[in-house]
Amino acid sequence: MRTRRKYEQGIGWAGAPTGATRGSHSKRAIFRRTIFLMGVCGVLMFIPLAWRLWDIAIVHHDEYQKLAAQQQTKDYAISARRGNIYDRNGNMMAMSATVYKLILSPLDLMKSVSNKDEDGKPLPEEIYQARVAARQDQMVEELMALVPTLDRERVTKQVHNTKAAYWEVKTNIEEEEAEALRAYIAENKTASYLYLITSTKRYYPYSGLAAQALGFVNDNGGAYGIEAVYNELLEGTAGRVYTTRTAGGTERFNTYAQYIDAVDGYDLTLTIDATIQSYLEKTLEEGIVDFDVQEGAFAIAMNPKTGAILGIASSPEFDPNSYSKVTDERLLAQMETDKNEIFEKLKAANTENLTDSELMSKAEAQAYSNAVNTQWRSRAIDSRYEPGSVFKAVVLASALEEGVVKESDHFFCSGVKKVADREIQCSKKSGHKDQDLTRAVGNSCNPAFMEIGQRLGKDKFYQYFEAFGLMENTGIDLPGEASLKGAIWDKDKMGEVELATASFGQRFEVTPLQMICAFSAVINGGNLVKPYVVQTVAAQDGTVIQNTQTEVIRQVISQQTSQRAADILEKVVSEGTGGNAYVAGYRIGGKTGSSEVGVTGDHTLVSFMGYAPADDPQVIVLLAYDRPQPKEPGSDWSTTGVYISGGNMAAKKAGPLIAQILDYMGIEKVYSADESAAVDVSMPKVTGMSLANAESALKKKNLKFRTIGEGDAVSRQVPAASTSIPGGSTVILYLGDAAPEESAAVPDVTGMTYEGARNALEKAGFFMRASGVSTYYGNTTTAEGQSVAGGDVAAIGTVVDVRFFNVVEDGYVG
Amino acid sequence: MARKAKRDLTMEEQLARGPLDLPFLMLVLLLLGIGLVMLFSASYYTAFRDSKPPVNNNPYFYITRQALYAAAGVAAMYLISRINYQHFRWMAPLALGVAIVLLILCYTPLGVRINHQRRWLYVLLVIPKGPTFQPSEVAKVAVVLFFSARLCKRDTEHKKRFTKRTTTGRLLNWLEKIGFLELVPYGLVLVTVLGLVAFERHVSGALLVAVGAAAVLLVSGISLWWFFGLGGLGVALVGIMYMTTAYVRKKFALWLDPWSADPQVEGFQFRQGIYSIASGGLLGRGLGESNQKYGFVPEPENDMIFSIGVEELGLVGGYLILILFSLLILRGYWIALHARDKFGMLTVVGIVTLLAAQVFFNIGVVTGLIPNTGISLPFFSYGGTALMIHLAEMGMILSISRQIPAPRKD
Repeated sequence: MRTRRKYEQGIGWAGAPTGATRGSHSKRAIFRRTIFLMGVCGVLMFIPLAWRLWDIAIVHHDEYQKLAAQQQTKDYAISARRGNIYDRNGNMMAMSATVYKLILSPLDLMKSVSNKDEDGKPLPEEIYQARVAARQDQMVEELMALVPTLDRERVTKQVHNTKAAYWEVKTNIEEEEAEALRAYIAENKTASYLYLITSTKRYYPYSGLAAQALGFVNDNGGAYGIEAVYNELLEGTAGRVYTTRTAGGTERFNTYAQYIDAVDGYDLTLTIDATIQSYLEKTLEEGIVDFDVQEGAFAIAMNPKTGAILGIASSPEFDPNSYSKVTDERLLAQMETDKNEIFEKLKAANTENLTDSELMSKAEAQAYSNAVNTQWRSRAIDSRYEPGSVFKAVVLASALEEGVVKESDHFFCSGVKKVADREIQCSKKSGHKDQDLTRAVGNSCNPAFMEIGQRLGKDKFYQYFEAFGLMENTGIDLPGEASLKGAIWDKDKMGEVELATASFGQRFEVTPLQMICAFSAVINGGNLVKPYVVQTVAAQDGTVIQNTQTEVIRQVISQQTSQRAADILEKVVSEGTGGNAYVAGYRIGGKTGSSEVGVTGDHTLVSFMGYAPADDPQVIVLLAYDRPQPKEPGSDWSTTGVYISGGNMAAKKAGPLIAQILDYMGIEKVYSADESAAVDVSMPKVTGMSLANAESALKKKNLKFRTIGEGDAVSRQVPAASTSIPGGSTVILYLGDAAPEESAAVPDVTGMTYEGARNALEKAGFFMRASGVSTYYGNTTTAEGQSVAGGDVAAIGTVVDVRFFNVVEDGYVG
Repeated sequence: MARKAKRDLTMEEQLARGPLDLPFLMLVLLLLGIGLVMLFSASYYTAFRDSKPPVNNNPYFYITRQALYAAAGVAAMYLISRINYQHFRWMAPLALGVAIVLLILCYTPLGVRINHQRRWLYVLLVIPKGPTFQPSEVAKVAVVLFFSARLCKRDTEHKKRFTKRTTTGRLLNWLEKIGFLELVPYGLVLVTVLGLVAFERHVSGALLVAVGAAAVLLVSGISLWWFFGLGGLGVALVGIMYMTTAYVRKKFALWLDPWSADPQVEGFQFRQGIYSIASGGLLGRGLGESNQKYGFVPEPENDMIFSIGVEELGLVGGYLILILFSLLILRGYWIALHARDKFGMLTVVGIVTLLAAQVFFNIGVVTGLIPNTGISLPFFSYGGTALMIHLAEMGMILSISRQIPAPRKD
């Protein structure tokens, strides 16, 4: 009623009820609106939802699911163990071991710093950045403490490079160190940004031994050598784990998970013998020092009948455990000069206006690259050389097979031979005069071989050249056999002069491996065999899946021809230019070679191809030194005072090498009559005997004697009983009161002949044990060195080892 | 209290003992059942990974709690369905008052702050322990109830007339004529509640309160022009904000091309939801087989639970859930249409529309249809007190359904 009164009083905000209700006529509207809401909320609104679901789950199913799978699944490889490599006796030459890498993710390190304060409030940017920087600095300290060998500057730079999520702090971490790191990671909960991952490291227990043959492994697998050729067999098949994972990265073990085991790589057993290999490498090294060799050296030892490579060495060598390091001193020196040369060259053609230091680093990089490529090369395979006189063996065999020469043929050498319009000289300028075939080979006489070549003729020469496998790669299971393009003239371009020079192995090129295979065919009964280095491929449980059989490519010459050629070649060592390779007790056959490389005249490659035993070859060795440094330009003598030729250098080193190999292989020495005369005997005890009894006792031992003093009974003897002295030596018997001196000065016998040296030593109360050339002591054979230097005082009766050698001119076209 | 014999009951009391709407009840229980199963599946990895108390790596933590609340909620639903809903009329202003007080309490030290939002209160209010709840959930029902209780009287409420002698009077007469005066109390209530909710930093809650209120207002029969006018105003406002604020523009751009967002930051939840749904395909990976719940979908037990549901049950399962919701909503409106009186009708419309809006906003977000709002899915998402309140609301609808007059037998 109050409102009504107010209304009647005309007060504005008071209202009086009217007849109409507010909701009049609303019944139908209400119904319609409810139905409307019902339609919208109960049906219509579900249509877009249903459409979206359809669109996502069905229409775009594949597309989105792929993205989902990418984040949900964990797919990683399980590395297969790389197979081991063993030498022929089962010695481990290459093996793999698990090592670890320490990885830092600078990005995640930054993320590990919370950008919120303790109450969960976002931090101001500056404070956050300061915290990140503090954490990074701390990380640098931690890393430096963990791995003290790191370079602090580099670490600082990497830790602050927050764009990177993967930085290898340290690789090749061995288990022991990894243990400590693992403990550190667990303790400090750094796993989200600093963690270890496993990887494998290849170990080569023999370090540099057979480095070029074995090759090495880099991040992409086998990169060089056997490691590269047999990479697929060695590396095995990586396994795979495919699981779903949580967002945190934990694998979930459910039915979607797939585990595929890794198949470990196969083990290889090589034909290479670590011991023989070490002999080869030692010989190369010695020769390089002894002859001041400039361009490296190489050697191959092979079983001539089977083609199994027993050793293959190349100098300079490297250590595959750290293959990118240059350690060879000569190579390092070479690198240095190389660097300076490249620098000068770059400076002269400096179009980009680089600074000197930039040019220098460029030059350094190039020189380094050259150097490592040099040391990784296996020269015995990937380079070509002029075989020189060694090739004469092939010409000899061809000519014998064709019947154009026989042992009874005689050749006359005047020191020069005119072919077409050219005069070609023999290595012995005075000429070898008249010689039979064996002597011609033994003398390595060029005019004789020019004639043999002429008799053979161009067509036959070419035919045999090809038949001996010199126009195709050997097919060895090592990488990088040199291309033979342009190695020899085309047949139609080959004139008389070419044929003549080719007949003594000049002006064309073959690879050392080809040469050793061809030579093997000459002496092994005529079969050209395919060389190989991997004997067996076996699974790690020992199951052999592949065993290499000798593959005879073809029979080049008949058995008889081969026998005849071998007989002649044996005499090269026993009587000819290969004399320096002679080792008493072993029948070594072979051929020397010296070849001129290039046109400067001072670059000689000296080589020797030897095999033994001559009657049943077990091993054939090719040994070559590239560029012994001449004393002065044009000189035939090296800076170390050795005449530069295959006979004086390569043969001299090859003899002991082959003997060593044969010794190692357990091949017994068989002495010829002459040889056994010089074999060491044990001095009998003759003191106290009558002179007559002593004489007969000494005679039994093949010893001569001289007496000092007067009397009937031997009162003293030199040497003492049981001393080992060469047979045929003259011992001293003291009669009566005569007494020997305690010691005496050893005479200098170098330069003397065999007899002269022996007499000189025995006169002074010493004995001589000769070594070096064979018992065929020509005029040119002189003593080259003695175990006790001339003038030194030694006890009377000391056996002095004297090494003899021949000055051999087996050279090249003069 | 002994149960009274039927003959002793008043007409009112007899009506209140009518049968409750079985289809509606069944749909609620079905959805609740599926919801609990999905919650278990979606939550156990999250719970297992959570080392903080009270979860303590217990994979059953969420499901145990949710199940207990569900049991309590079903009990509450039943009890509320036994109440004669006419009592809600007088309770409505009281409920609104309580809701507003609770909302204000959120701003006092009693409020629980999480991430700079003060949406929560402890159930025990003064004792800072135990479960929490969102007063905005209470406010939603309170507003619906209050509006329904008042608006149902529109038919009997007479229009007012003011004196024409004063300008004020004439103005008031005009305002009465266009129906503005009638709306003023609703407007005041709504602005108060919306303001309180929105300033908690709970815009989605405010949105839902507004939707509930709007539904009741719409159905009560007020002029559609108000809706068009307010709607137009809203669009204009958004338009202006779009023109002036970079933040809004960015939000819009993200909504239109969600794939362009940084997949690790703004686009993360969206992407992960889509991946889940897509992974489900037609038939799903199978119950419990979701891959996305393993830390990819953020809080899979919460707003994103539907995406895990589709991943495990496939499009078919997703559609089944949508159909169940659709049927529940349709049945709800059916109850509204058949309600005994206008109060019952408006209450049901309000509650059902609220439910529908929540379903739409949740699944719309999960499927990338609408921008992220942070609205949970009723009966599915984890949240004990919210589930209880939802079930209580269902109880109210069931209570109203009891008094539906039996069809006349002609």
